[in-house]
Amino acid sequence: MSGHFDDDLTRPLEGAAEASSAEGATSPEVGRDEWVARHGERVARRSGLLGTLEARFRTVPWWAWLTLLIATACLIPVFSDSGYVRRVAFDTVVFMLLALGLNIVVGWGGLLDLGYVAFFGIGAYAYAMLASDQFGVHLPSIVAIPLVALIGFGAGWLVGLPSRRLTGDYLAIVTLFFFQIFLTFTNNGDDVFGHSLTNGPNGILNVDELSFFGWSLPTTTAQGQFAIAYLYVAVVLFGIVYVALRLLDDSRTGRAWRSLREDPLAAELMGMPVNWLKLLAFASGASVAALTGTLQASLVGSVFPQDFAFPLLITVYTMVILGGAGSQAGVVIGAILISVLLEVLRDPGDSRGLFYLLVLLGLVGAFRLSRQLAVVLGATVALGFVARAVAGTIDDRWTAGVGGGGGRLAGWASDWVIVPTQLAGWIAPVTYVGLIALVLMLTLLHGWVRIAVLVPTLYLAAFVWENVMLAKPEPTRYVVLGAILVGVMVIRPNGLLGERRVEIL
Amino acid sequence: MAARPSAGPPPESIETRLAARVDTFIQLTLNGLTLGSVYALIALGYTLVYGILKLLNFAHGDVVTVGAFIGFGMLQLLGGSTDPVVPVWLLLLLISATAMAGCAALGVAIERFAYRPLRDAPRIAPLISALGVSFFLAYSLQLLFGSEQRDYDAFSMDNGALFFKGFSIGAVHIPLLRILVICAAFALMVVLWFLVNKTRTGKAMKATSFDREAAAMMGIDVDRVIVFAFVLGSALAGAAGVLSALRVPTYPSAGFITGLKGFTAAVIGGIGSIPGAMAGGLILGLAEAYTQGYISTKWSDLAVFVILILIMLFRPQGLFGRPDITKV
Amino acid sequence: MKKRGGLVIALVVIAAAALASTAGAGSSTADRIAAVNCSGTIKLPLLTPLTGGGGPIGNEQLSWAKYAAKSLGPKLKLKVQIVGGDTPVEKGPGEAQKVAQKFISDSQVAAVLGPATSGGVASASKSLAKAGLLHISPSATDSALAAGPKGKRTASPVAFYRVVGGDYVQGPTDANYMVSALKAKKVVIVDFQEPYSVGLANAAQAVLKAKGVDVTRLSTSVDTTDYSSLVTKVPNDANVVFFPTQQPEDAQTFGQQLLEQGKRATMFGADGTNNPAAFKLPGSYVSNFAPDISGIKGNAARIAGWKKDNPKASLGSFGPPTYLATQVEMMAIARACKAGGGSIKNRASVLKYIRGIVVPNSILGGTFRFSKSNNEPVNPKFYIFQIQKNGSYKLVN
Repeated sequence: MSGHFDDDLTRPLEGAAEASSAEGATSPEVGRDEWVARHGERVARRSGLLGTLEARFRTVPWWAWLTLLIATACLIPVFSDSGYVRRVAFDTVVFMLLALGLNIVVGWGGLLDLGYVAFFGIGAYAYAMLASDQFGVHLPSIVAIPLVALIGFGAGWLVGLPSRRLTGDYLAIVTLFFFQIFLTFTNNGDDVFGHSLTNGPNGILNVDELSFFGWSLPTTTAQGQFAIAYLYVAVVLFGIVYVALRLLDDSRTGRAWRSLREDPLAAELMGMPVNWLKLLAFASGASVAALTGTLQASLVGSVFPQDFAFPLLITVYTMVILGGAGSQAGVVIGAILISVLLEVLRDPGDSRGLFYLLVLLGLVGAFRLSRQLAVVLGATVALGFVARAVAGTIDDRWTAGVGGGGGRLAGWASDWVIVPTQLAGWIAPVTYVGLIALVLMLTLLHGWVRIAVLVPTLYLAAFVWENVMLAKPEPTRYVVLGAILVGVMVIRPNGLLGERRVEIL
Repeated sequence: MAARPSAGPPPESIETRLAARVDTFIQLTLNGLTLGSVYALIALGYTLVYGILKLLNFAHGDVVTVGAFIGFGMLQLLGGSTDPVVPVWLLLLLISATAMAGCAALGVAIERFAYRPLRDAPRIAPLISALGVSFFLAYSLQLLFGSEQRDYDAFSMDNGALFFKGFSIGAVHIPLLRILVICAAFALMVVLWFLVNKTRTGKAMKATSFDREAAAMMGIDVDRVIVFAFVLGSALAGAAGVLSALRVPTYPSAGFITGLKGFTAAVIGGIGSIPGAMAGGLILGLAEAYTQGYISTKWSDLAVFVILILIMLFRPQGLFGRPDITKV
Repeated sequence: MKKRGGLVIALVVIAAAALASTAGAGSSTADRIAAVNCSGTIKLPLLTPLTGGGGPIGNEQLSWAKYAAKSLGPKLKLKVQIVGGDTPVEKGPGEAQKVAQKFISDSQVAAVLGPATSGGVASASKSLAKAGLLHISPSATDSALAAGPKGKRTASPVAFYRVVGGDYVQGPTDANYMVSALKAKKVVIVDFQEPYSVGLANAAQAVLKAKGVDVTRLSTSVDTTDYSSLVTKVPNDANVVFFPTQQPEDAQTFGQQLLEQGKRATMFGADGTNNPAAFKLPGSYVSNFAPDISGIKGNAARIAGWKKDNPKASLGSFGPPTYLATQVEMMAIARACKAGGGSIKNRASVLKYIRGIVVPNSILGGTFRFSKSNNEPVNPKFYIFQIQKNGSYKLVN
């Protein structure tokens, strides 16, 4: 959509260029016209190799990208026999769908819905109730899936109804409470007036597999591995939803949503049915989430209340924010990146490599192949060897440990970083907090002072990573997620592909 | 303590049954007050920040948990609860002071790095940043300290003095610990009231919460005032963490529930209003105790949330709050 | 901004590379996966919570499994590596199924230890059974997982076994003890709205009611930490409070609050409450599926060896059954290897040897073997301990 203006008007308005590029057009500029605000960005974008590449990318139509993505997803089982990889791919597609749904609510509607995962749960439970022994109902999937989507839409509508008068923070609170209500209800739903609705904490087991036209798809192969049919069903569903949403976005409703997001009050004054639009956004997002719930329920074969908890909500939010709320392609990319990141972080051997790679990329991004970069890298490496040698002479056990998890890099990492055999209790909290304090301080420093502090900070980061974080991959995954969420919001609120929003007062 | 064999319960007279009811009521009220005073402290933290920044600080609940853990660390440093190196009263004082100081520093850091850059961004941005901070804090605690529950074990302090000393109303024994918790909370609230109403910075804070731009134009350093609000709120959070951990075990992911309860209290009382937060906290504590005691523990959480939503719908500004008027 | 496109490309490339690296986690055809090389390193994954609320239990299990692999490997002529598969309870039971996939695809995996949680077994067992992988759980006690006359088999497989008795034994054992030894006439039962406690509570309640005991049933959320209002509902003349929590600190808090409010009831916990460091209220009772192994003949060497590898850890109740489970699996694998002449063509063949395994001088006391009619030990027993004044646990039944 934003591509229209680029090629038509090449001459800026008088005075606008200086005004906008004077401040570098890098932060949300209050009080300026959006097009003017983006001028500096447009001019800067044209130049350079990456600029040309990007311009080329933009000319590729969206459906071509979608086809490429679907083709890649379908080819994954060809490249890998491992049931685990295929299962990870399936989970990624599920995340992509969830991200698309949340994008409608947050990105297009501008509503902070903290109960989104509850709709995912409602969809899963609805499917479980419609296709299992719980009530003896066994609907075929061709009926159950659209029915669940409808139920999700209805649930979203109902939740949205009382919330439509609420703005921003209040909406967040109410949706969060709705989430809690959902959790409490599923947990205690085994004794509602003497009937068991949700089977409480024991969950609903033996949920039917997907069945189309009489053929039921087993969830595992004869050898117990993940059945790729489910991956294909998920990808097809994703394709359908993506296209449907894209068409919705290009329609009047999509444009109305965009105006609602930018300024609800102005939209209302211009005659938009604001309440109805909010409800529609809410309900559509809920519907997509419920649809995804059916996939999850049918594959896993059971639903439990703990499957839909707060960390899942934060994960989906991180995906949407990282990718750029409001941009469908963006949230899909965000979903892929975060999902893969979480899987890689599961295994210390893999995540070690990723950590060093990302730090290197970050340094390159900040210093851009200059002399300073060489100085920083050289100094850090030197500091590492020196520190390790010193520590080794003081006490052998201080450097005798091996980095957790094995893997290719563990060996040489232990040669550079101090890895003690046993870590004294106080070291972990002190170095961790110290590292955070140093990193935060770095954002306040400039010039050579910054470089001087950066070198020991990098080494400390490697130390903390090896000794503290790799020892416990699970909380580390979530710590990284939290950090990404905050980092993206502070540094680049519109994420990777999101449109930069300008708040016009 | 083996069970005593009994021949069967004696028939109860009306007086005993009435006395039992009164006792239950007193006990539940005591429970409610204890819970409520801690909730009030947490709610105050939310209110102080919301009043100035119009920001719901989702990370606040996790700051409370950090306070509890800092207190726990300090407790271990001072020798543990069975055999501390200093007398118990000094022990409690030191723990609280460290927790409050640590949390105040944490609050300042969060404001400076996660919220200040987003001050001019759309309102959804700092909320999402707060979510990220909350997640980061909770799982950092888990990373560093493991996910087991930690108990201050106040029971062992001074050979159980905190539990067994105290006074009685009827058949209900009111232990020293609860008196301590309630009084400490109230004392802190009084100090806060004093700081907000009687000092210059406090008045500057009230002015900024009315109208930030006007306050800036009157020469108030808005950044400093905001930092002051965070310092106050987070210090109270630290105190709340210690007070709560003295009675019940704490664990790294406790921040989510604590935060939820805390801003429920703030919303009931009217977010943005200081007396509202205090009242809301007490009301929430009492409501919880009564629903658990009289209705059912199974559904008490649900009941609280439903009440909340009803309040949000029919009186969104809470009990003491002012209706939010948006100027166009 | 200007580098946006480049940024996106770079990140997508990294994602592809990372995904490709996870593909390295075991890719082979189905037949190659099923075959196990006995002379190489055999992997035994342990599916248990290693982080989150259940983390301490899982790590204790992991330490004992590793010790078993280390100390028993040479005698059985096997090189066994224990690999942890983290299934945090916060992720819900479905996580076990996903983590199981990782090991199903790994050809050096001959059998699986766990899943540790009953929910995990329910979700992962089908896939594991189809893959022909024996899985022995050291701690999943849900009655529904039992096969045979005592339980309804919801998780189908012949591949699932457990080395401890089910809750359908523990609940009645506790209830019978309360009536016979503690002479309880009025009992309060608390459940935490999750499968473990609800199952135990129901089993105990049924037995108590049948014996004419006055039962008050209370229910609270598993997140509750302040029990003062719950305590108010405990009648003043209640004799025993059955508190099957999996968080011993909560039991300690509840007990203290009972004392605080002047109630005289005795606390009674289940195997999840078993933790001398956290639950140490004198006069309370705890039931467990393992006896105190330090009192059993022949364990001194095992305990000493384990302590040498884990100096900072304390002896708990979840570790020894894991040692036993590892031992049984290793013995079965060794037999399968011998029968196959040094290699196993299909790991499902390990299942054939399970019922024939006899472990004399087992770490849990006595001789261990599986029952002929179901997937549990023959005559599973639950042990009841009383907490002494100094906080130690003493066996009383």
